Amino acid sequence: MAGKKVLIADDEVHIIHVVAIKLRNNGYEVICAGNGAEAYDLACREKPDIVVADYQMPFLTGIELIQKLRENEQLRDLPVILLTARSFAISDEQKASLGVEECLSKPFSPRELLKTVEDILYQRAVALKC
Amino acid sequence: MRRQRSLVWAAIAIAVSAMCVAALTELWHPGIGGGGRSLAVVLRMVTYCIGAVGVIFTGTACMRLDRVVTSIARQFPADPSAGGDVSDMKEPLRLRHTIDAHLRDRDERINRLEAGLKGLRIQAQLSERRERHTEAIIYSLRDAVLVTDESGRLLMANEPAAHLFGFAAQGLCRRPLAEVVGPEHRDFVELLHRSRQSGVEATRREMVFAGPDGPHTFDTIVSCVLDAGKVSGVVAVLHDITREKEISQMKNDFVSHVSHELKTPLASITAYSEMLADGEADDEETREEFYTIIQTQAQRLNRLIEDILNVSRIESGLIKVHKEPVSLTILIEQQMQMIKGFAEEKNITVTGQKPIVFDQVYADKDMISQVIVNLLSNAVKYTPAGGSVRIETHVNEADGLARVTVTDTGVGIPADEVEHVFDKFYRVAANNKQAKGTGLGLNLVKQIVEKVHDGRVFVTSQVGVGSTFGFELPLATRELVETA
Repeated sequence: MAGKKVLIADDEVHIIHVVAIKLRNNGYEVICAGNGAEAYDLACREKPDIVVADYQMPFLTGIELIQKLRENEQLRDLPVILLTARSFAISDEQKASLGVEECLSKPFSPRELLKTVEDILYQRAVALKC
Repeated sequence: MRRQRSLVWAAIAIAVSAMCVAALTELWHPGIGGGGRSLAVVLRMVTYCIGAVGVIFTGTACMRLDRVVTSIARQFPADPSAGGDVSDMKEPLRLRHTIDAHLRDRDERINRLEAGLKGLRIQAQLSERRERHTEAIIYSLRDAVLVTDESGRLLMANEPAAHLFGFAAQGLCRRPLAEVVGPEHRDFVELLHRSRQSGVEATRREMVFAGPDGPHTFDTIVSCVLDAGKVSGVVAVLHDITREKEISQMKNDFVSHVSHELKTPLASITAYSEMLADGEADDEETREEFYTIIQTQAQRLNRLIEDILNVSRIESGLIKVHKEPVSLTILIEQQMQMIKGFAEEKNITVTGQKPIVFDQVYADKDMISQVIVNLLSNAVKYTPAGGSVRIETHVNEADGLARVTVTDTGVGIPADEVEHVFDKFYRVAANNKQAKGTGLGLNLVKQIVEKVHDGRVFVTSQVGVGSTFGFELPLATRELVETA
């Protein structure tokens, strides 16, 4: 999956930093946004393959960002991984209705995040081939 | 009685007559003569006369005794079973006995009735007292209480109920509840009606009523009063739980915020540690950077925990306070250095003021440092990039007060929320997305200044222009400074 573009959206600069290093070290192209609104603009412009977004961000929360992406014709199917410090913040129903691929609770393992990104992109690739 | 007396007199007369006849017969007897014999006759006649007089006295005494006996017999009813001379008194005595029995029976009944009446009077008094107690309890309750009869007519309502439903508490007796509370409270009337119809002993529901200061939520309990299985009335008690719900919501928000705030630095620490363990840091410089981040995030975590604990300690009065004369200017300089990096990241200018001659306050240095850093970091947090923050100290020697103000060119606070910004866990809704926080920082400022140092906090703000937060502390006396 190397070469795929990942958008990371979080207002915590250290989280962006650590995730970006992990993904770049594994061959991914990484673009970063410090809040939800910035992430949406970047997604429209850069057309990433996957989004890793924090649940609680200024201007647009993680949920609001996903809702906006789903309203956009071109970004409707963009897979999203949600990072949350509140393990019970999103229900399974909400997850399904928003089309959230995976929800990782903070503190999370960068190793686990990388594997989740790889799995989702692989499944998408397989689905496209079929 | 008269007959008996006549018989006695007749017997006496016969006895006396008989004796006289005997004496005369003795006197006229033909065989008698001479002087000695005449003396004997005279003596015999005298003896007879004395006997006759004795009989008369005896008869009189008998009659007297009879009168006494009769008199006693009149006082005591004769035993009907006894025979003898009282047999002719049976009828009146029986009558008397019957009358006496009736009288006794009547007296007993009167006594019983009087005792019953006394009992009823006591019960009525107790009942009246209980009713007064019940009324006193109902009227002294802060909860709204309404009592209706089986037809839904209002029997009783206390002042909070009158206030809640907007009617005058007096003079409403027996008016239909629906009429009294008005159509806007149809749901409430309907609830009472259904409860009355179903006869269920108690129904509980949360109901929202409009109040002058906004909607209020009430825990409403409707209970049926059952009399021999039939509903004879309904009692509704409405307890205002608006504040409880707010507090509960605030607690939930707090747990949610704190959990997020605690997990964020923890997430960085965990992630960077794992990266080091996985050898993701290629060179010494990167490794050094990772170690530094881990350290600063651990410090951030510690500060947050300290904030939470400090609020709790101050509130419970368990915090240790070490007061000494401290210069506000020096403390401000130190805290400005601490906030500098954060401000530069956001391209915000933080400026101070020129030194003041005497600005010493008698305070806990660490606590006041925390107050200053909290106000400065809040100002930077809510000021958009390119803005400015200014901190100043004013000394009023006449009033013996030192005043510190932190003015920013930030987003500002809506007027209706300004008064709440020092409340625990309170976060300005409009600025929630601007920056993260627990809603503890300003509360800690207030607790430290007002509760620990007898000072005062204040705030003025204008949306889109900026805010000024500040505090006042009593100046330390020069004697105290010299002693220290």
